[in-house]
Amino acid sequence: MSAPILETRSLTKRFGGLTAVDNLSLSLEGGKLHAIIGPNGAGKTTLFNLVSGLLRPDSGKVIFRGRDITGLPAHEISRLGIKRTLQVKSVFSSLSVAENLWITYAGSKRFLHPFRNAESDRAARDRVAQTLEQIGLTALAHRAAGVLSYGDVALLEIGMALISEPQLLLLDEPTCGMSPAETERAVTKIREMARTIDIVIIEHDMAVVFGIADAITVLAQGAILAVGNVNEISQNERVREAYLGRPEDEDYVEEAAHA
Amino acid sequence: MSSRASIERVLFVLFAIFMMSVPWSVPALVSSFWVSVITEILIWSLFAASVNLLFGYVGLLSFGQALYFGFGMYGVSIGIDQLHLGFWPVFALGIVAAMTMALVSGVFAVRLTWHYFAIITVVFSLIFYFLAVRLKPLTGGDDGINFSMPPTFTFDHSVWSFTDPTFQYFFILLTVSLCFYLMHRVIHSPLGKAFVAIRDNDVRASLIGLNVYLIRLVAFVMAGFLAGVAGALFAFFGRYASAAYMFYQVSGEGVVWAIVGGAGTLFGPIIGTTLFIIIREVVSTHWEHHALIVGVMAILVVILAPRGLVGLWSDRLDRLDKDAAELPSTQPERVPP
Repeated sequence: MSAPILETRSLTKRFGGLTAVDNLSLSLEGGKLHAIIGPNGAGKTTLFNLVSGLLRPDSGKVIFRGRDITGLPAHEISRLGIKRTLQVKSVFSSLSVAENLWITYAGSKRFLHPFRNAESDRAARDRVAQTLEQIGLTALAHRAAGVLSYGDVALLEIGMALISEPQLLLLDEPTCGMSPAETERAVTKIREMARTIDIVIIEHDMAVVFGIADAITVLAQGAILAVGNVNEISQNERVREAYLGRPEDEDYVEEAAHA
Repeated sequence: MSSRASIERVLFVLFAIFMMSVPWSVPALVSSFWVSVITEILIWSLFAASVNLLFGYVGLLSFGQALYFGFGMYGVSIGIDQLHLGFWPVFALGIVAAMTMALVSGVFAVRLTWHYFAIITVVFSLIFYFLAVRLKPLTGGDDGINFSMPPTFTFDHSVWSFTDPTFQYFFILLTVSLCFYLMHRVIHSPLGKAFVAIRDNDVRASLIGLNVYLIRLVAFVMAGFLAGVAGALFAFFGRYASAAYMFYQVSGEGVVWAIVGGAGTLFGPIIGTTLFIIIREVVSTHWEHHALIVGVMAILVVILAPRGLVGLWSDRLDRLDKDAAELPSTQPERVPP
């Protein structure tokens, strides 16, 4: 077993009376594609927000490769190599596709030159061209990201994840809102990336999760419900209950299926 | 080269030629009064550019840029009137004062965004407006400070000073052009791309490793620089400084000029400022409520052309380019088989 790439210790976050993440202790080992699943409101996105620095925990610690990163600002966590995507696809809409990749590449550098032409950096330009090739958006390089189709935005997001050279990539529902064909393409890309990058993915689509995850963590009400591989999780009674509803709800599920 | 780029290049060259010829062509065509109007337009364009840098590129709407304009103005005036310094030291003093003030207020202001940011910038400018009105011994209060210009350059035999209207015009033209050139460089630099990324989506920007707070602060100080240079030039131009120019109404005018001209474009503020100052000069002699026209025009532009007059213009040129690109593909279809 390799050392954990990401750990949380007794991590807690409350919003008013609601405890979104409740005394959560996770340990995700490196070299695997981890999936975090759970019903709505289970605290999945809040967990990502705590790890990536968009939120500060009320108590507990986040540890990345043995280093305590609790409470660091988002840009510093990003510079340590933890990159993430947002649930709602969000690129920089008035920048071009190439510029989106470019700024993501340059974003991790500490100094942004105020007067030199942005296009004069040869290494960055080559890297952008290479990434465009990888995601197949070379033809749209100079199109504003705001006018791209949904599928192309998703590809651009993946390109931005690639060019940022992450050590740990957090993907928040990467296939949300995609067509089946787009989902398939995205899943292939994610599986490909997982060979070299540690990835944690939040996903609602069970088919996607069971198709790609090496290890699954199930959250419910901010706490761990179950941990295991695909087989273990799909057989787990408590997970089925949390996900598919209690027995008394089953009529309703069936009714819906027949409707 | 696209037709858009070539049209814009030709227009820019014509514009540059006209600006270089103003001290001779304008008195010949209209009157020398308009030379000073154009000088004033140049200065206020720079002021509108400072609003534009923040709003158009970083997405922060400041209603307090008059504060930094005022600091530039008072830096010059107090430097000459009370400290008896020369031209260049007071110019530097005005700019440094404006940038320092921008740094101090920016440290607080850029923690906020949207209306909170707008409000805190107004509050800062109001505090210093009232201070300037009160501190009569230093600032002259409402009466302001009048001073006589020290020379800009003194060589063995000749003296170059703002008392020569042609020298004054070219000095201001050169300084304003230099500032716009600097802004052009910044917009196309890595930092400029980071500005736009933050304007588009600040959360995402922080997730790719951009220090949003620091970059906003840098932009705020840069905007303070532009407003400060404008204020210093205006003090030189009028040999005068007054607290009235620190009032938030002045800030508001800058916002209107920038937005109507086209926020997020380099030349937008120049267009907006030119339009409104010409309206003011032409109409105010006949009708005291010229602000009404300004208001109506601002509302119309915001509704009909959200990207301002320059946005309207570039949309039109884009369509021209598109038509040109589509022409070859549509022509063969018309040929009967």
